[in-house]
Amino acid sequence: MEQDTKRRHFLKYLGASSLVLSTVGHSTQTQEEEKPKKPHYGMIFDQNKCVGCTECEVACKKTNAVPKKQARLYVENKTDPNTPLEKRYTRVSCQQCVDAPCVNVCPTNACYRDEKTGIVTMNTNDCIACKYCIVACPYDVRFINHETKSAENCNFCFNTNFAKNEEPACVQACKYKALVFGDLNDEASYINQLLHVKDSVRMKPSFGTQPSLRYIPIVKTGV
Amino acid sequence: MNESIEFSVGFSHGVEWGWPIGVYLLLAGISGGALIIALALRYYQKQTEETPLLKAASLVSFVTIALGMIFLVGDLEKPLYFWKILINYNFTSVMSIGVLALCLYIPLTFLIVVLVFEAWIKERLGQTPLAKLFFLFAWIKPLRPMIHLLAFIFALVVCAYTGFLISVLVRFPLLNTAILPALFVVSGLSAGTAFSSVIAAYFFKADAHHGDMKTLHTLEWPIMALEMLLLFMLFVSLIVGTNVDKDAAAAFFEGSYRHLFWVGVVGLGFSVPLVLNFFLGKTVAHSRMSFYISGMASVLGVLSLRLFILYAGQTFSA
Repeated sequence: MEQDTKRRHFLKYLGASSLVLSTVGHSTQTQEEEKPKKPHYGMIFDQNKCVGCTECEVACKKTNAVPKKQARLYVENKTDPNTPLEKRYTRVSCQQCVDAPCVNVCPTNACYRDEKTGIVTMNTNDCIACKYCIVACPYDVRFINHETKSAENCNFCFNTNFAKNEEPACVQACKYKALVFGDLNDEASYINQLLHVKDSVRMKPSFGTQPSLRYIPIVKTGV
Repeated sequence: MNESIEFSVGFSHGVEWGWPIGVYLLLAGISGGALIIALALRYYQKQTEETPLLKAASLVSFVTIALGMIFLVGDLEKPLYFWKILINYNFTSVMSIGVLALCLYIPLTFLIVVLVFEAWIKERLGQTPLAKLFFLFAWIKPLRPMIHLLAFIFALVVCAYTGFLISVLVRFPLLNTAILPALFVVSGLSAGTAFSSVIAAYFFKADAHHGDMKTLHTLEWPIMALEMLLLFMLFVSLIVGTNVDKDAAAAFFEGSYRHLFWVGVVGLGFSVPLVLNFFLGKTVAHSRMSFYISGMASVLGVLSLRLFILYAGQTFSA
């Protein structure tokens, strides 16, 4: 008889607790669904595919109204003079660091990381052009725009193409698919699929700023 | 370089922070250094009167930092928007912290000038409409010990922040070192001491070889020795460092800025005062001429040091 009540209590608690647990479990699940992972935009530059045509540079200037003789994006010819037929080009642009020194040093918060997209970009109105971000950048890829008198960097066309839900101008302009833009936090994105199968490197990783640009260098295989 | 891929061009123009910033770094050093040494002496010797040194140092600290602000704002590409830096703050930015420190430090130096020159102000401005403001003296006088203490602390902060300001720049091995803030404080002390003793002797008739001036004169050499030691440490930290550090150590022997170091820092800043005071006999060492020359040489030496660090630092980059 006593055992029977114990059993009954046990079953009661079991039922009640399963009810509580399942609702808790369900609510946490819905919370996860409501809060999707923040994006982390990145870009791949594939040196194997780049022919140095510089159409990306032209498109960048046009889209982002970069003054003549200045650039947010530059394609440097890094061909070894001893092997002039083996062409090598490298993209020079903002590396979109996760721990960005420019954002850390900007005294007016004009250089900032966009809350929603995580992209490092500029509020030109608040920039007083003290040039602290320019000297703090380990990659030396920032400059004062002669027209706006404000510091600038490649922000993945944040105010132009990106705002229109389009790919950055350089990516659109590249006929050889040497540039891939996408969300590194999205497992299904093309950029991630590519990174899964190809070896890529980050520029000067020893600075510890965790750049979001990945480079696929030309590597000779075999003899 | 064994990286599989790299680029070597940059979008800046080499030296982005030029001579106006160098001059500002000197002026901030003089301002902080002068006030630190004068207040420390006042505390140590329990002075209560307005000594010629305190008069000189307070004036020097206020005028140099105010002048420094002109150079600092003048170096901006948008100088008329400088007020944006006063309303926006970013506490991960040394510049922002420095601006906050300056906002407190500059009024403090002004208050000290007003307090030290109270008698002079009351005598000269008694007949002007400004006399109506004299009641303020009664308000600030009881706060004087507090003002001195805060000014002493913020003078140190201002001297040190100028060093931290450029020591966070990771691209430049000569700048990105922990020695820099210490070097800037010590060289600021040296320039501040030299400049305020020259002003004290010339304008406030301090005896160049007695009292405070004599104390400062004996303090000058340990400060200079410390400055030499820190420079030597900076050099050693580079030559024993990575390849990038070693390349940057060449700044001392190669390139056009090496003259700033050898002629300016070593020649003017160290050798001239040492030779005048120790190697040419007592008559030269005790002459007024050598007092002024060695004082100004020290200041020019520190100017050379700031310019050398700034220009050579930004030239030799990783």
